[in-house]
Amino acid sequence: MLSAIVWLVIGMGAGLLGALEFSFPDLTKGVAQLSFTRLRPAHVNTVAFGWLSMANVGACLYIIPALCKTKLFSEKLANFSCYLWNIAIGLGFITLANGYTEGREYAEYREPIDILIVIALGSVSYNLFRTLLTRKVKKLYVSVWYIMGAFFWMPIIFIVGNRTFVAMDGLNDGILNWFYGHNILGMWFTVLGVGIAYYMLPKMSGKPIWSHSLSMFGFWTIAFFYAPTGTHHLLQSPVPEWLKALAVIFSAALVIPVISVLVNFYMTMKGSWWMLTTNMPIRFVLTGAFWYLITCIQGPFQATRGINWYIHFTQWVVGHAHAALLGTFTFFVIGALYYGIQRITGKRIYSVRLVKWHYWLLLIGFTLFFLALTIAGLQQSVGWALGYPVAQWSLTLMPMWLVRSIGGTLMFFSSCLFAYNIYMTLREQPISSALEIKVAVPIEGDSN
Amino acid sequence: MSEDNNKQDLKSQGIKGYLLPAVVVAFSFAVIYTVVVAIPNLPSLKSKPSEYAIEYIEKNKDGSIKRDSKTGRPVPNQAGRGRAIYSREGCFYCHSQFVRPQDRDFGSRVRAGDYANETPNVLGTSRTGPDLSNEGGKLPDEWHIAHLKDPRFYTPGSIMPSFSFLSDDELKDLVAYLQTLGRKRFDDPANRHIYEAYFPEADEAFWKASEHHKPNVDSAAAANAGAGIYRQNCAVCHGLNGLGNGPNALAMAKKPANFSDPKYKKYSNETWYWRVAEGVPGTRMPRWKLKLEPQQMWYLVAFLKTLPQDEKPIIEPYQSIDSAAWQSQSALPAGIVSNYEKLSAGAAKSSTGGSASAH
Repeated sequence: MLSAIVWLVIGMGAGLLGALEFSFPDLTKGVAQLSFTRLRPAHVNTVAFGWLSMANVGACLYIIPALCKTKLFSEKLANFSCYLWNIAIGLGFITLANGYTEGREYAEYREPIDILIVIALGSVSYNLFRTLLTRKVKKLYVSVWYIMGAFFWMPIIFIVGNRTFVAMDGLNDGILNWFYGHNILGMWFTVLGVGIAYYMLPKMSGKPIWSHSLSMFGFWTIAFFYAPTGTHHLLQSPVPEWLKALAVIFSAALVIPVISVLVNFYMTMKGSWWMLTTNMPIRFVLTGAFWYLITCIQGPFQATRGINWYIHFTQWVVGHAHAALLGTFTFFVIGALYYGIQRITGKRIYSVRLVKWHYWLLLIGFTLFFLALTIAGLQQSVGWALGYPVAQWSLTLMPMWLVRSIGGTLMFFSSCLFAYNIYMTLREQPISSALEIKVAVPIEGDSN
Repeated sequence: MSEDNNKQDLKSQGIKGYLLPAVVVAFSFAVIYTVVVAIPNLPSLKSKPSEYAIEYIEKNKDGSIKRDSKTGRPVPNQAGRGRAIYSREGCFYCHSQFVRPQDRDFGSRVRAGDYANETPNVLGTSRTGPDLSNEGGKLPDEWHIAHLKDPRFYTPGSIMPSFSFLSDDELKDLVAYLQTLGRKRFDDPANRHIYEAYFPEADEAFWKASEHHKPNVDSAAAANAGAGIYRQNCAVCHGLNGLGNGPNALAMAKKPANFSDPKYKKYSNETWYWRVAEGVPGTRMPRWKLKLEPQQMWYLVAFLKTLPQDEKPIIEPYQSIDSAAWQSQSALPAGIVSNYEKLSAGAAKSSTGGSASAH
């Protein structure tokens, strides 16, 4: 039922994980003194578009045909977009490190690379929508809504956000920049991640989703509330007041979809929480859901004027951004990868112990990282609020930078383990009998 | 048969299946284009450059825009080239360029029109380093170039990366850009009130703290104590006699205050104290309350009140950094005796023996 191509895409996403992107958060910290400003865009873009987008797209190329009970519309096209995407990310990394940048946050890739990405993205979207048209089930499961929504919005957002296609002057450029910067998070990563989690949880716990209507409610409120929130990055700048008010109100309203999604997740898991101890993919997904709770309650609060007044410009915001992309959506998609890699190839995972190491190193590393940045952000906000010169308090942040580097190292190391584990899994012989495949699917702990 | 049915279904859905998404996609692109591109670019709605907007494009002598003979694109001037480097090297990841209402020490606030000539924006979203909106003129070019090459030599503990890999020309362009930031805003007389702002009643805690060991500001002893503090901390910019011509002044675009200006006659003790404690936003004048005790600042006030304030300011331009020349240049013109000297002379006369000096 599934094509080998789908596997290729996921494999590529997993390969990229170890080989390309996860080393960069660590590198940026380690050599910050030398060329942090060049590495930062390279890191952000490679992690966001190289790792997270590609892994998400790979997971979707598996999930959508599975949910539609049909084949992917064109395996060739998926293959093509996979190669194109990889070329774009590789070129993008080299050009950014050499200072060829558009100079707008999250949209640093230069024109040719933007065009490559748009073509790849458009072909994946086209592919999935054509798959949807040939579906064999009438009713759309909520994951399909989420994922197809993302593939509808992302090309639009990407085209609007990049200077290659739309160029503006002055503050308008800033507003547009943050429309883009926040919406690749909101209408791409969030929607894809939640869609994947909605697929994984019922599939692995073996129960139906707790409430279909609640999940649809969550989807449409995200769709309604997310678009204008980007301006909350410019709250104290001379941007028109009505735009800021809109951004603040809609940011705060995002609590609604978040709560509805999480209630649904947790109620679906009711009675199955024991699975956390033995089932590794579900452990990853639920940890992601935990970080989702933290980051998405934090987000609307820090977008309100009073709190933004205090913590804007600080590392707190950086910690928050990592909690969303790394803590939540990376955990979601890693769960999906561990699940999918066995499902698609019919091979047993190489080492469950390595999976556990991966999980704990990533979780501890990220928790250290998040706490360090949050504390550093609060220290900075005191400095800005009292108006002390930067040089006076910047030294007090040194321990936090160190803790952040330690967390980053742990995460990098865990990702190497992950890549090694996946590589060894792919080298193994597939299990021939269908029964054994079923047994292999949930990764059970060997102890307990 | 079921396959046939399916095919039939798909065929009958065909038009619906394609038309609706096509219309939705086309419609959303039309809406986005209108909102994002067409409306903001209407001539009447396009953001107009304010008088503080910085010019980044080279102009011909007749005022028209100079264009590249090959590509036809406008040629950037030195600040424009520097801005491109600022953007390319990602300075905006750590330095914001908008002053918020609550910010102190970064000078006057920004307005929308100030950014009209800027693209891509460099507003920034994180402040690992200070805001640069009003950085221009605070420090000399040489300082900027040396600091860009080796930040920790000038600011120990700074985590700014070194930009020694830039060529000399690139560094010059970048510094030229930095020096334009906020200069027009500072030079506008309409903005004077921001730099002269006086809020004595603003902060109860501030005035309560100032009462701690407050000396008698009118006493000669306090002025004597203040003179030492002044020479150690202030004279390097304001000059030995407060004429605003210390050695550092040579390199500053925003010149230090000349205390012989008659307007300082109007300063009350509290005004002096507030200004010393809070510094002058947007200039190199620091907030001395972060370094000095209230008592020391009152001593300074006592000394500052003794500086000569005439009918018009005494202008003694500073020209050389030779220390002997500096002594003679910053001396008061013949015939003018500093109140400080008068006061010390009086104090010395009235004292018994040699024990009165507060040095």
